[in-house]
Amino acid sequence: MKKKYRNPVGVCKYSGLLFITPFLAGFLLFTLYPFASSFILGLTEYDGIRQPEFTGFGNFRKMLGDSSFLNAAAVTLKYTAVLVPLKLIFSLLAALTLNMEIKGMGVYRTIFYIPSILGSNLAVVIMWQFLFTSDGLVNQLLELCGLAPVGWYGDSAHAMGIIVLLRLWEFGSAMIIFLNALRDIPCEYYEAAKVDGCGKIRSFFSITLPLLRNVIFLNLILQIIAAMQEFNAPYMITGGGPLKGTYTLGMLIYDEMFKYREMGYANALSWVMFTLIAAVVAAAFGFTKRHREDI
Amino acid sequence: MKKAAAYLLLTLGAAVMIYPLLWLAGASLKSNDEIFSSPWFMPESLDLSVYARAWQTVTGHTMGHYFLNTFAIIIPKTLFAVVSSVLTAYGFSRFDFPFKRLFYALFMGTMFMPAIVTIMPMYLMWSRLGVLDTYIPLTVPALFAAEGSFVFMLIRFFSGVPKEFDEAARIDGCNSVQILVHILVPCVRPVIVSISVFTFLWTMNDFLTPLIMISSVEKYPLSLILRLSADSTGNGYEQCKILAMSVIGLIPSIAVFGLAQKKFISGITAGGLSG
Amino acid sequence: MKKYILTAAAGCLASLSACGGNSAGFTPPDGTLDKCTLRFSWWGGDDRHEATLNAIELWNSKHPDITIVPEYGGWDGWTEKVGTQLSGGTEPDIMQINYDWLISFSSDGKGFYDLELLTDYLDLTQFDRDVLSFGEVGGVLNGVTVSVSGRGLFYNSETYKHFGAEYPKTWSELINLGEKFHKEDIYPLDVDIQSGGTAWYLAVVYVQQQTGRQFITIDGELGFTEDDIKEALDFYKKLEDGHVIRTIDMRTDEDGTAALYQSPEFIDGRVAGVLEWGSSVGKYEMTLSEGVLEAGPMLSDDSGKSGGWMIKPSLLYAISRNTKNPDEAAAFMDFMLNDTEAASLLGTTRGIPASRTAEESLEKSGRLTGLAQENDALLEQLDTMTISPYMELAQMKEYYNSAIEKVSYNAADSAEAAHEMYVSITEYLERIRK
Repeated sequence: MKKKYRNPVGVCKYSGLLFITPFLAGFLLFTLYPFASSFILGLTEYDGIRQPEFTGFGNFRKMLGDSSFLNAAAVTLKYTAVLVPLKLIFSLLAALTLNMEIKGMGVYRTIFYIPSILGSNLAVVIMWQFLFTSDGLVNQLLELCGLAPVGWYGDSAHAMGIIVLLRLWEFGSAMIIFLNALRDIPCEYYEAAKVDGCGKIRSFFSITLPLLRNVIFLNLILQIIAAMQEFNAPYMITGGGPLKGTYTLGMLIYDEMFKYREMGYANALSWVMFTLIAAVVAAAFGFTKRHREDI
Repeated sequence: MKKAAAYLLLTLGAAVMIYPLLWLAGASLKSNDEIFSSPWFMPESLDLSVYARAWQTVTGHTMGHYFLNTFAIIIPKTLFAVVSSVLTAYGFSRFDFPFKRLFYALFMGTMFMPAIVTIMPMYLMWSRLGVLDTYIPLTVPALFAAEGSFVFMLIRFFSGVPKEFDEAARIDGCNSVQILVHILVPCVRPVIVSISVFTFLWTMNDFLTPLIMISSVEKYPLSLILRLSADSTGNGYEQCKILAMSVIGLIPSIAVFGLAQKKFISGITAGGLSG
Repeated sequence: MKKYILTAAAGCLASLSACGGNSAGFTPPDGTLDKCTLRFSWWGGDDRHEATLNAIELWNSKHPDITIVPEYGGWDGWTEKVGTQLSGGTEPDIMQINYDWLISFSSDGKGFYDLELLTDYLDLTQFDRDVLSFGEVGGVLNGVTVSVSGRGLFYNSETYKHFGAEYPKTWSELINLGEKFHKEDIYPLDVDIQSGGTAWYLAVVYVQQQTGRQFITIDGELGFTEDDIKEALDFYKKLEDGHVIRTIDMRTDEDGTAALYQSPEFIDGRVAGVLEWGSSVGKYEMTLSEGVLEAGPMLSDDSGKSGGWMIKPSLLYAISRNTKNPDEAAAFMDFMLNDTEAASLLGTTRGIPASRTAEESLEKSGRLTGLAQENDALLEQLDTMTISPYMELAQMKEYYNSAIEKVSYNAADSAEAAHEMYVSITEYLERIRK
């Protein structure tokens, strides 16, 4: 059966291809080629200087017994599990508050969004390092409130807290997505609910949340992908320590690749990270299936 | 009453969001001791001379030189990103063609790929082409719609423009390119602003790519010079100097965001990633 | 060929003045060298950057046809950067290299240019035979040692004066200082488990002094027994428990991952000692007021046994095996090593020069003073061991630091940590030597 292409009259079926050429060329050059060569390198032992030596799936077998890989995978999953829900809750709450129709809201929106534009800018990282030293701003403020200062860097859980707080502070991009979706909810829904005697909280759970589920899911996926690739913040702020408590997969791959020059292993690890992300995303798909319309 | 509570809550939240940055600006004017003794951001005395010192770097060039370098990367990169993303989005949203579903799936897939995988092979590729230590590895990928989320944003925006517009123009004798330039591009101006701003911000934030691709200090962008200075050991090490450099490093991002924020926010919200 | 044209084009761009091509009127500096642009890279602190940039300026003014483009930065991440360049064949023409790079990037001696081929321009007669041998791999001269240096102890004289304390001469004196300083919450010394890895270094010195065994031999065999490693870890723990040094927990709480010389504790004198290379102590010296940091004695045991301290080529210069202009690169390297004017600009920012002309020039001008020189003199009196390049490999440092960290946090007792380290090191060395 011959396929019909639904194009305007006089438009050749290849016109569209022509327009997406930049993407296609880019895909071949900057995605397919590096990914394929990384997969091939992943099957070798390679120090970047001598010829790569083919080892089959040796690198993958090595991972199973490599405690630093197992630790990094656990740290990454833990980090993702802590950060992503917190970030979703924060950004949703902020979006709900910022969705009110009151004067000066634009200014508040801008302020809430600003941290997220700074990302992993080195300047922000330097600032963040200063905030959490033993007599840095955060401990000064804690003491001002009559609380005991915290040893931030010396303890694994606290050190992870530093990174989580940085990424929470930058919740703006997730917030904007929620804000946008909230605006699309027609006011009539809420008015109808009010007539029916629904309280604020009830209408949140019976109107807002169900209508937001696709967006929540989208944010969930985006945040999982970002969190599982985390590299910059631990690399520059905690150095992965203490006791490897903030040593993420991203850091492990960087170290194996550039520091220990185990390039074959590093490339195999990148593929495992890729698979792991895909698995977590798939799990998120499965888990939310019942609560989500098809998209 | 309820409004007052909302304002209180919002102001409190805004304070938490903005205070670290205020503190950074203030601390850049403080002495080492003062930084670690007072949480209040205002310095005891206002002496701006640290900024003059921070403007001078150890390399013999001023920060101004590195600003120019950064802009020499950002300007072509932005242009490339806008043109290539618009073309690609146009192709996906307005045309039907062989393997469209496959290509669209591939396109969505690229957004989920971990970037770290590609660094080493890309380095080797650029090295074979002999263009390391130039801005080509930093700018040219933008020519190939490398940033999937930009295309995605545009596709959503294009789909909001009724196809009847195109058809009317086509009847008037416009070809596909003319339709894009005259009808569609004017409709997506806010997205183009958003793409430009994002390109600007992300380039300012990027550290790893220039670290690997650029080797002469002369050609460093701002992020690398910040790093070089963060390792700095100058006479009577001053914490405030590195903080002042950080402030200088953040000003462009905040300024560009501030200038473009109205259009920028409408660009990401109206056509944004929302379901 | 194509690549050659590209490089040539880049060279032209960099020195527009001489873009007329080879036939156009320019004079080679001494009639034999070609016009070219060379890249030179190094790592270091600000003192080294400034001095080196001045020396390059001098070179460029003397040899307008051979332009040197500097590439430099701090130590952290530098090996990664140059390693990437070496993999891509895009390394600078002349490089300051670290000792262990000889084995990680040139295990067969072919990773860098054979410098014996360049003696027309590079004067090697200024160096002692055994100093030169540091730079040999598989019989090929890959690097020339800039200076020989060892780690020594440097103290904040003001803090020590405040306590009326002498700089310790023996390990037990050092440990006694811990209690004394502890009353005011001050620490007589600091060691780290960051890229410097001084914690393990000090412990190794201690055990080497006790046993006379070398931790890692020159050709990459583990010389310590598992018990030796355990003893080193125990010694480290003893320093922590005796308040001689901060615990890792405390140290990281205070400064995060910031370098010691940038931390308020060091600048204010609350941490009053540091273990550092004579060739790199400048960055610590600069952050304190002038003359405050002083060199202290190398520690010995109570019976006066003073061995176990170590030396190594602190830095070497090497030439890229891919360079298009080996003669010119050699001429610049000779300038950096042997030229008397350059020597006076560079001073001791890379330690006490191993080159005789450079050292004499500094001596004549009275510049051979300061901490690098004092440290050198102290080490010279001792029966030192030469550090194995294998000891410095990044992966090895990771094993030391993680063992020290575990012991410090009581995440493992010293026997467990020692066993784990012993096994990892043995396996790794075996793999790397092949």
